[in-house]
Amino acid sequence: MDARLAPNMKTYVVVWVGMMFLVAVEVLATYARPSVGTLLATLLALALLEAGVALLYFMHLRYERRALLWWTVPLVLFALVMLDQVWPDAVRLASLRLH
Amino acid sequence: MSASEVTVTGGHAGALEESPLGIPSHKLAMWLFIMADGATFGAILFAYGFLRVGTPDWTKPFALWPSIANGCIMTVILLSSSLTMLGAGSAARAGHAARCLRWIGATMLLGALFAVLHLREWFAMIHEGWGLKHNPLGGSTLVGATFFGITGLHLLHVVSGVIAIGVVALRFRRGRLGAAHIETVGLYWHFVDLVWMFVFPLVYLLNAR
Repeated sequence: MDARLAPNMKTYVVVWVGMMFLVAVEVLATYARPSVGTLLATLLALALLEAGVALLYFMHLRYERRALLWWTVPLVLFALVMLDQVWPDAVRLASLRLH
Repeated sequence: MSASEVTVTGGHAGALEESPLGIPSHKLAMWLFIMADGATFGAILFAYGFLRVGTPDWTKPFALWPSIANGCIMTVILLSSSLTMLGAGSAARAGHAARCLRWIGATMLLGALFAVLHLREWFAMIHEGWGLKHNPLGGSTLVGATFFGITGLHLLHVVSGVIAIGVVALRFRRGRLGAAHIETVGLYWHFVDLVWMFVFPLVYLLNAR
Protein backbone atom coordinates (compact mmCIF):
# COMPACT_ATOMS: atom_id res chain seq x y z
CA MET A 1 0.00 0.00 0.00
CA ASP A 2 1.22 3.46 -0.86
CA ALA A 3 1.98 5.21 2.48
CA ARG A 4 0.43 8.44 1.12
CA LEU A 5 -2.91 6.65 0.66
CA ALA A 6 -2.91 5.00 4.09
CA PRO A 7 -5.84 6.02 6.28
CA ASN A 8 -5.19 7.76 9.60
CA MET A 9 -6.11 6.54 13.10
CA LYS A 10 -9.29 8.64 13.09
CA THR A 11 -10.63 6.61 10.16
CA TYR A 12 -9.69 3.36 11.90
CA VAL A 13 -11.45 4.41 15.13
CA VAL A 14 -14.63 5.34 13.21
CA VAL A 15 -14.60 1.90 11.51
CA TRP A 16 -13.93 0.21 14.88
CA VAL A 17 -16.94 2.00 16.44
CA GLY A 18 -19.07 0.96 13.45
CA MET A 19 -18.08 -2.67 13.89
CA MET A 20 -18.87 -2.52 17.62
CA PHE A 21 -22.29 -1.19 16.67
CA LEU A 22 -22.85 -4.11 14.28
CA VAL A 23 -21.90 -6.60 17.03
CA ALA A 24 -24.42 -4.91 19.36
CA VAL A 25 -27.10 -5.22 16.65
CA GLU A 26 -26.29 -8.94 16.34
CA VAL A 27 -26.79 -9.48 20.08
CA LEU A 28 -30.03 -7.48 20.11
CA ALA A 29 -31.31 -9.40 17.06
CA THR A 30 -30.58 -12.68 18.85
CA TYR A 31 -32.64 -11.73 21.91
CA ALA A 32 -35.54 -10.51 19.76
CA ARG A 33 -36.13 -14.31 19.45
CA PRO A 34 -36.83 -14.70 15.72
CA SER A 35 -37.03 -18.15 14.08
CA VAL A 36 -33.72 -20.01 13.56
CA GLY A 37 -33.81 -19.39 9.81
CA THR A 38 -34.45 -15.65 10.18
CA LEU A 39 -31.78 -15.32 12.87
CA LEU A 40 -29.25 -17.24 10.77
CA ALA A 41 -29.93 -15.01 7.74
CA THR A 42 -29.71 -11.83 9.86
CA LEU A 43 -26.48 -12.86 11.59
CA LEU A 44 -24.88 -13.95 8.32
CA ALA A 45 -25.78 -10.67 6.61
CA LEU A 46 -24.33 -8.64 9.50
CA ALA A 47 -21.20 -10.83 9.65
CA LEU A 48 -20.67 -10.40 5.88
CA LEU A 49 -21.01 -6.63 6.30
CA GLU A 50 -18.43 -6.65 9.12
CA ALA A 51 -16.10 -8.84 7.05
CA GLY A 52 -16.40 -6.47 4.09
CA VAL A 53 -15.57 -3.46 6.27
CA ALA A 54 -12.61 -5.30 7.83
CA LEU A 55 -11.28 -6.28 4.38
CA LEU A 56 -11.62 -2.79 2.93
CA TYR A 57 -10.36 -0.71 5.86
CA PHE A 58 -8.41 -2.89 8.34
CA MET A 59 -6.80 -5.05 5.64
CA HIS A 60 -6.48 -2.03 3.32
CA LEU A 61 -8.03 -3.56 0.20
CA ARG A 62 -9.68 -0.18 -0.42
CA TYR A 63 -6.26 1.46 -0.63
CA GLU A 64 -4.46 -1.22 -2.64
CA ARG A 65 -4.61 -1.62 -6.40
CA ARG A 66 -8.03 -2.76 -7.58
CA ALA A 67 -6.36 -5.83 -9.13
CA LEU A 68 -5.65 -7.23 -5.65
CA LEU A 69 -9.32 -6.96 -4.65
CA TRP A 70 -10.56 -8.51 -7.90
CA TRP A 71 -7.98 -11.27 -7.62
CA THR A 72 -8.67 -12.30 -4.02
CA VAL A 73 -12.34 -11.76 -3.18
CA PRO A 74 -14.08 -13.45 -6.19
CA LEU A 75 -11.82 -16.52 -5.91
CA VAL A 76 -12.62 -17.04 -2.22
CA LEU A 77 -16.33 -16.37 -2.79
CA PHE A 78 -16.34 -18.91 -5.63
CA ALA A 79 -14.72 -21.53 -3.36
CA LEU A 80 -17.27 -20.79 -0.61
CA VAL A 81 -20.23 -21.03 -2.99
CA MET A 82 -18.92 -24.37 -4.25
CA LEU A 83 -18.63 -25.59 -0.64
CA ASP A 84 -22.21 -24.53 -0.08
CA GLN A 85 -23.22 -26.73 -3.01
CA VAL A 86 -21.21 -29.75 -1.85
CA TRP A 87 -21.93 -29.89 1.88
CA PRO A 88 -25.65 -30.74 1.69
CA ASP A 89 -24.64 -33.95 -0.10
CA ALA A 90 -22.28 -34.81 2.76
CA VAL A 91 -25.06 -34.30 5.29
CA ARG A 92 -27.49 -36.33 3.19
CA LEU A 93 -24.98 -39.20 2.98
CA ALA A 94 -24.65 -39.18 6.77
CA SER A 95 -28.44 -39.40 7.06
CA LEU A 96 -28.57 -42.31 4.62
CA ARG A 97 -26.04 -44.19 6.69
CA LEU A 98 -28.10 -43.73 9.85
CA HIS A 99 -31.30 -45.20 8.40
CA MET B 1 20.74 0.97 -16.64
CA SER B 2 24.19 1.74 -15.23
CA ALA B 3 26.24 -0.69 -13.18
CA SER B 4 25.81 1.45 -10.06
CA GLU B 5 22.02 1.40 -10.52
CA VAL B 6 22.06 -2.38 -10.62
CA THR B 7 24.10 -2.52 -7.41
CA VAL B 8 21.96 0.02 -5.55
CA THR B 9 18.69 -1.75 -6.38
CA GLY B 10 19.98 -5.06 -5.12
CA GLY B 11 21.29 -6.68 -8.30
CA HIS B 12 18.17 -7.50 -10.30
CA ALA B 13 15.38 -5.43 -8.80
CA GLY B 14 15.64 -2.64 -11.40
CA ALA B 15 15.53 -5.14 -14.26
CA LEU B 16 12.44 -6.98 -13.03
CA GLU B 17 8.92 -6.19 -14.15
CA GLU B 18 6.76 -4.58 -11.46
CA SER B 19 4.24 -6.83 -9.70
CA PRO B 20 0.78 -6.40 -11.31
CA LEU B 21 -0.73 -6.37 -7.81
CA GLY B 22 1.72 -3.73 -6.57
CA ILE B 23 2.58 -5.56 -3.35
CA PRO B 24 5.81 -7.15 -2.06
CA SER B 25 6.22 -10.94 -2.20
CA HIS B 26 5.76 -11.47 1.56
CA LYS B 27 2.43 -9.67 1.41
CA LEU B 28 1.35 -11.71 -1.63
CA ALA B 29 2.26 -14.89 0.28
CA MET B 30 0.15 -13.71 3.22
CA TRP B 31 -2.83 -13.01 0.95
CA LEU B 32 -2.50 -16.50 -0.56
CA PHE B 33 -2.43 -17.99 2.94
CA ILE B 34 -5.45 -15.92 3.99
CA MET B 35 -7.41 -17.07 0.92
CA ALA B 36 -6.64 -20.73 1.67
CA ASP B 37 -7.36 -20.35 5.38
CA GLY B 38 -10.55 -18.44 4.60
CA ALA B 39 -11.75 -21.39 2.51
CA THR B 40 -10.84 -23.75 5.39
CA PHE B 41 -12.88 -21.79 7.91
CA GLY B 42 -15.62 -21.41 5.31
CA ALA B 43 -15.77 -25.19 4.88
CA ILE B 44 -15.98 -25.76 8.61
CA LEU B 45 -18.62 -23.09 9.16
CA PHE B 46 -20.73 -24.32 6.23
CA ALA B 47 -20.59 -27.86 7.62
CA TYR B 48 -21.54 -26.51 11.05
CA GLY B 49 -24.42 -24.49 9.54
CA PHE B 50 -25.94 -27.52 7.83
CA LEU B 51 -25.54 -29.66 10.97
CA ARG B 52 -26.99 -26.91 13.17
CA VAL B 53 -30.11 -26.48 11.07
CA GLY B 54 -30.48 -30.18 10.15
CA THR B 55 -30.09 -31.78 13.60
CA PRO B 56 -33.49 -32.10 15.32
CA ASP B 57 -32.23 -32.58 18.91
CA TRP B 58 -29.74 -29.71 18.84
CA THR B 59 -29.39 -28.12 22.30
CA LYS B 60 -28.53 -24.50 23.06
CA PRO B 61 -25.77 -24.40 25.67
CA PHE B 62 -25.18 -20.64 26.06
CA ALA B 63 -26.99 -18.53 28.66
CA LEU B 64 -26.74 -14.72 28.48
CA TRP B 65 -24.61 -14.86 31.63
CA PRO B 66 -21.80 -15.87 31.61
CA SER B 67 -21.36 -17.34 28.09
CA ILE B 68 -22.83 -14.68 25.76
CA ALA B 69 -21.52 -11.85 27.96
CA ASN B 70 -18.08 -13.48 27.90
CA GLY B 71 -18.31 -13.84 24.11
CA CYS B 72 -19.19 -10.13 23.80
CA ILE B 73 -16.19 -9.17 25.93
CA MET B 74 -13.93 -11.42 23.83
CA THR B 75 -15.30 -9.77 20.66
CA VAL B 76 -14.56 -6.29 22.01
CA ILE B 77 -11.03 -7.41 22.99
CA LEU B 78 -10.27 -8.91 19.57
CA LEU B 79 -11.71 -5.93 17.68
CA SER B 80 -9.66 -3.58 19.89
CA SER B 81 -6.53 -5.62 19.21
CA SER B 82 -7.08 -5.02 15.48
CA LEU B 83 -7.18 -1.29 16.22
CA THR B 84 -3.90 -1.44 18.18
CA MET B 85 -2.33 -3.46 15.33
CA LEU B 86 -3.38 -0.72 12.91
CA GLY B 87 -1.76 1.78 15.29
CA ALA B 88 1.46 -0.24 15.10
CA GLY B 89 1.35 -0.17 11.28
CA SER B 90 0.73 3.59 11.20
CA ALA B 91 3.57 4.24 13.67
CA ALA B 92 5.95 2.00 11.70
CA ARG B 93 5.10 3.79 8.43
CA ALA B 94 5.73 7.14 10.12
CA GLY B 95 9.13 5.88 11.34
CA HIS B 96 8.22 5.85 15.06
CA ALA B 97 9.73 2.52 16.06
CA ALA B 98 9.21 2.89 19.83
CA ARG B 99 5.55 3.84 19.40
CA CYS B 100 5.08 0.94 16.98
CA LEU B 101 6.49 -1.50 19.54
CA ARG B 102 4.16 -0.14 22.25
CA TRP B 103 1.15 -0.69 19.97
CA ILE B 104 2.40 -4.19 19.19
CA GLY B 105 2.78 -4.90 22.93
CA ALA B 106 -0.85 -3.83 23.44
CA THR B 107 -1.95 -6.09 20.57
CA MET B 108 -0.13 -9.09 22.02
CA LEU B 109 -1.56 -8.40 25.47
CA LEU B 110 -5.12 -8.23 24.11
CA GLY B 111 -4.54 -11.39 22.07
CA ALA B 112 -3.28 -13.22 25.15
CA LEU B 113 -6.25 -11.94 27.18
CA PHE B 114 -8.63 -13.25 24.50
CA ALA B 115 -6.95 -16.68 24.69
CA VAL B 116 -7.15 -16.73 28.50
CA LEU B 117 -10.87 -15.84 28.49
CA HIS B 118 -11.50 -18.47 25.85
CA LEU B 119 -9.65 -21.18 27.75
CA ARG B 120 -11.46 -20.23 30.97
CA GLU B 121 -14.77 -20.72 29.16
CA TRP B 122 -13.59 -24.04 27.74
CA PHE B 123 -12.61 -25.36 31.17
CA ALA B 124 -15.93 -24.21 32.67
CA MET B 125 -17.81 -26.08 29.91
CA ILE B 126 -15.68 -29.20 30.30
CA HIS B 127 -16.34 -29.04 34.04
CA GLU B 128 -20.09 -28.96 33.28
CA GLY B 129 -19.69 -32.15 31.26
CA TRP B 130 -19.34 -30.80 27.70
CA GLY B 131 -16.90 -32.59 25.41
CA LEU B 132 -16.32 -33.70 21.83
CA LYS B 133 -18.64 -36.66 22.45
CA HIS B 134 -20.58 -35.47 25.49
CA ASN B 135 -23.64 -33.30 25.89
CA PRO B 136 -24.75 -32.85 29.55
CA LEU B 137 -28.14 -31.51 28.36
CA GLY B 138 -28.93 -34.83 26.70
CA GLY B 139 -29.23 -33.72 23.06
CA SER B 140 -26.96 -34.21 20.07
CA THR B 141 -23.24 -34.62 20.86
CA LEU B 142 -22.51 -32.62 17.70
CA VAL B 143 -23.01 -29.43 19.75
CA GLY B 144 -19.82 -29.98 21.75
CA ALA B 145 -17.91 -31.42 18.79
CA THR B 146 -18.62 -28.42 16.55
CA PHE B 147 -18.09 -25.88 19.36
CA PHE B 148 -14.71 -27.21 20.46
CA GLY B 149 -13.64 -27.92 16.86
CA ILE B 150 -14.41 -24.46 15.47
CA THR B 151 -13.35 -22.39 18.47
CA GLY B 152 -10.26 -24.59 18.94
CA LEU B 153 -9.10 -23.93 15.39
CA HIS B 154 -9.69 -20.21 15.86
CA LEU B 155 -7.90 -20.21 19.23
CA LEU B 156 -4.93 -21.93 17.57
CA HIS B 157 -4.83 -19.06 15.07
CA VAL B 158 -4.95 -16.47 17.88
CA VAL B 159 -2.09 -18.08 19.81
CA SER B 160 -0.04 -18.50 16.60
CA GLY B 161 -0.75 -14.86 15.76
CA VAL B 162 0.50 -13.60 19.14
CA ILE B 163 3.72 -15.60 18.67
CA ALA B 164 4.16 -14.44 15.05
CA ILE B 165 3.60 -10.79 15.98
CA GLY B 166 6.16 -11.17 18.80
CA VAL B 167 8.77 -12.64 16.43
CA VAL B 168 8.22 -9.90 13.82
CA ALA B 169 8.36 -7.22 16.54
CA LEU B 170 11.69 -8.54 17.82
CA ARG B 171 13.19 -8.49 14.32
CA PHE B 172 11.68 -5.05 13.69
CA ARG B 173 13.33 -3.73 16.88
CA ARG B 174 16.69 -5.06 15.68
CA GLY B 175 16.18 -3.30 12.36
CA ARG B 176 16.02 -6.51 10.33
CA LEU B 177 12.38 -6.04 9.28
CA GLY B 178 10.51 -2.89 8.24
CA ALA B 179 7.08 -1.28 8.26
CA ALA B 180 5.90 -3.47 5.35
CA HIS B 181 6.48 -6.59 7.46
CA ILE B 182 4.49 -5.11 10.35
CA GLU B 183 1.64 -4.52 7.91
CA THR B 184 1.90 -8.08 6.58
CA VAL B 185 1.71 -9.72 10.02
CA GLY B 186 -1.11 -7.25 10.74
CA LEU B 187 -3.01 -8.69 7.77
CA TYR B 188 -2.94 -12.08 9.47
CA TRP B 189 -4.16 -10.59 12.74
CA HIS B 190 -7.06 -8.79 11.03
CA PHE B 191 -7.97 -12.05 9.31
CA VAL B 192 -8.16 -13.79 12.70
CA ASP B 193 -10.47 -10.96 13.79
CA LEU B 194 -12.52 -11.32 10.59
CA VAL B 195 -13.04 -15.05 11.21
CA TRP B 196 -14.25 -14.30 14.74
CA MET B 197 -16.88 -11.99 13.17
CA PHE B 198 -18.44 -15.22 11.83
CA VAL B 199 -17.63 -17.56 14.73
CA PHE B 200 -19.22 -15.37 17.41
CA PRO B 201 -22.67 -14.97 15.79
CA LEU B 202 -22.88 -18.45 14.27
CA VAL B 203 -21.49 -20.53 17.13
CA TYR B 204 -22.45 -18.42 20.17
CA LEU B 205 -25.45 -16.25 19.30
CA LEU B 206 -27.21 -18.92 17.25
CA ASN B 207 -27.00 -21.18 20.32
CA ALA B 208 -28.11 -18.63 22.91
CA ARG B 209 -30.74 -19.80 25.37
